[in-house]
Amino acid sequence: MSKLNETDIQGFVLRGYNLPVARFLFLRFESAARARSLLARLLSHVTTGQRWDGAKPQSTVNIAFTHRGLAHLDLPDATLLSFPVEFQQGMKHRAEILGDLGVNSPVHWDEVWCEDGVHAWLGINGLTTEALDARCSVILSAIEETGGATVLGSQDAAAEVINSKPTTKEHFGYTDGFGNPDFLGVERSSQPGQGKLLPDGTWAPLATGELLLGYADEAGELPVAPVPHLLASNGTFMVYRKLHQNLATFRDFLERQAAAYAGGKEKLAAKFIGRWRDGTPIELSPDNPDSSIAQDPNRSTNFTYAADAAGTRCPMGAHVRRVHPRDAFGFNGQLINRRRITRRGLPYGRFTPEDEPVSDAEERGVIFMALNASLSRQFEFVQQQWVQYGNDAHLGNDKDVLMGNHGGRGRFVAQGDRSPTNPPFVCSNLPDFVELRGGDYFFLPSITALGMIAMGLVDPR
Amino acid sequence: MPNQNGSVYGLTILSPIIDDEKATPSHDLQIRNYLAKLSTREESPFALAPGTHLARLVVMDDVIYVGMPACEEHLKSKYLIFESNCDGDLDAYLHGLADSIPDHLDAIWKHCVGYPGAANRLAFIGYMKACQLDTTFYFAAVNDKSVPETLRALQTQSAVAEFIASHQGADAATLQREFIRFAAHLKAQPLPKAGSMGPHRDIKTGGRNE
Repeated sequence: MSKLNETDIQGFVLRGYNLPVARFLFLRFESAARARSLLARLLSHVTTGQRWDGAKPQSTVNIAFTHRGLAHLDLPDATLLSFPVEFQQGMKHRAEILGDLGVNSPVHWDEVWCEDGVHAWLGINGLTTEALDARCSVILSAIEETGGATVLGSQDAAAEVINSKPTTKEHFGYTDGFGNPDFLGVERSSQPGQGKLLPDGTWAPLATGELLLGYADEAGELPVAPVPHLLASNGTFMVYRKLHQNLATFRDFLERQAAAYAGGKEKLAAKFIGRWRDGTPIELSPDNPDSSIAQDPNRSTNFTYAADAAGTRCPMGAHVRRVHPRDAFGFNGQLINRRRITRRGLPYGRFTPEDEPVSDAEERGVIFMALNASLSRQFEFVQQQWVQYGNDAHLGNDKDVLMGNHGGRGRFVAQGDRSPTNPPFVCSNLPDFVELRGGDYFFLPSITALGMIAMGLVDPR
Repeated sequence: MPNQNGSVYGLTILSPIIDDEKATPSHDLQIRNYLAKLSTREESPFALAPGTHLARLVVMDDVIYVGMPACEEHLKSKYLIFESNCDGDLDAYLHGLADSIPDHLDAIWKHCVGYPGAANRLAFIGYMKACQLDTTFYFAAVNDKSVPETLRALQTQSAVAEFIASHQGADAATLQREFIRFAAHLKAQPLPKAGSMGPHRDIKTGGRNE
C-alpha cells in the first residue's frame, strides 16, 4: 500500500494534535443553501493530515456531520440511505445496544443532545486559549455572515496543566492516551504494541480500512460505506461521548476498598485500569510504577498477556485488558484486529488535587471521541461486549470497573497469588463512576467530500 | 468420531416438511409460527425435557441462489433442521423428549413427512434416527459435563463468588464457621432450572443489531 494522500484526509483522523485546549461547537443548519455556503467558507480552515515538520499551527479546525446534518445539506436520498444503519439512526437510538440505560439513558443527557438538533460538530484545538479564542471568533463570524447555522451549544476541554506543562492526566488521576492503533499508510511515530500482533510476536500496522473508508480492511474487504465512493473515501466515522466523572464517588470508593486491600491504594487503582496512575503497564511492572517504562515508547505499549493467563499481574477485568485484549483470547490476537478504535479525547472541567474536597455534581469528565470505519463492528462491539459485559474476558456478567453502568450492583475481581502484597481481591456493589451526558455518531468526510457537499455535487450514480 | 464428543452427544436431524398445496397456511409456515412463540428460558421445551445443553430448530426453505457464476440448484423439499448438543446416548435422550414434551414434539413434527407421533415410542425413535445426519461440529462452549453437573457448577460458582465478596477479610475462625454453614446450605439447595441461569436482560446481538 502506498502512502495515503494526507492532503485529502482531515488531520484529526490521522493524528492526535497534542494541542492542550479545545472547543467543540454543535451546529444546527438552517437552509441547505446557506449551510453549504458556510461549508465553502470553512473549507480553507479545515486542518488536513499534512505533516507539520516542526511548525505546529496555533490552532486547528475539523468538521463532521450527523446523518440529520447531511440530510439538511440536501444530500441525495440515494446517498443518505446508503450510510450504515447505525449511523443513520444515531447514538441515542442505539442506547439499548450500547447499554446506555439507567443513569446513562438519553433522558438524562444534556439538553443540546435531547432535541436531535445537532447537525455538525466543529472541533477547534489550540496551542493557547488566546489562539483558540481567535480561531473560534473567525469561525463564528463565518457562521454569522453566511447565516448557515445556529450554534446550539459548545463544549470546552483542556489538558490538565501541571508545573505549567500540559499533561495527559484525566480526573481520576490516571495518565491517559496510550496505545492508539497503527494503520498501514499512516505516517506517525509508531511503537510496538499498537498495531496487530503477528505470529512471530512482532507488531505490524492494521489494514487502513479499519480506520478509513475506501481501503481494504483486515478481512480484505471494503468497509460498508455510502455512495458515491468519492464521498466516502478518505473519510471515517466518529463517536462523540461526553462522559461525566463522579470524582467524589471514585475517591471515596478507592479509599474505602484500599483500606481492606493488602496491596495498597495505588496498586488497587492500577488493578482497575491495568496501568499505574503514571501509565506504567502493571503487566510489565506489577509491584510499582516505573517511569522508565511509562516514558519509553518501545516499552509502554509493548506487552502481551500470554504469561498472565490467570490475571494475577493484570486482572482479566482491568480496563486496558478488556478493551484491547491483545493475545488474551488466543489465536495470536487475530480475534481483536477488527475491534480496534482510534481515540481522541480531552478532559473537561476543573482539575482538583487529591487533598481538596470534590463533589460529584461538579461539571467534570472526559470528552471521548473515537474514530473507526465501522461504528457497529468496532466501537459498538467494544462497548457492548467488552465494556458492558464480561463473557469474552471469562468474567460472566461483570462490566468494566470504571466505565460500566453498574447501578450499585457491579463487581470487580483482581486476581491474585499467594504473595502478601498481591492477594486476590473482590470489589462489590460498584457504583457508577462515569455517566454518559450525551453525544452522537458523526461522519468525518475527506477534503474532497467536503468540497462536494459544499458545492452540492454529491451524485450517487 | 462423529456424534459423540466425550460425554456430549451431537444430534442433527433433517426432517422433510410436508408439501401440500391444499394446506393453509403451508406446513413450513405453521412450523415457523409455532417455533417463533416458544420460550428460550425455563419454559422452553428443551429446558423442560432432560439432557439438552443447546438446541436449535430451523426451517430451511431452499438453498439460496446467489447469482452468476453459481449454478442454480434447489432442494427436493423444505426441511426442518433440529440440532441438539445433549447428554448421554441417543435412545435415552429421545425417550426423555417423548416422555416430557410429547405435545411440543407432535405440534412441530406433525408437519413433517412420515412422522408417527411421540406416543408410538418405538416408531418415534425409529423416525428420528432415520432422519439423522452425522454431527462433526459441536457448540464449543459445551464442556464434557452433563446438564445437571453444569447447572450445579453455575449455581456453585455464583454462590461462592457471593460468599467470597461478602466475607473478604474475615478472620480464619469466622470464615471457617461461615463457610461450613454456607456449604451445607448450598448443598441442600435444589438444582436450578435449566434455562434459568442466563442474565436477565436484553442483549441484542447478531442481526438484531441492525
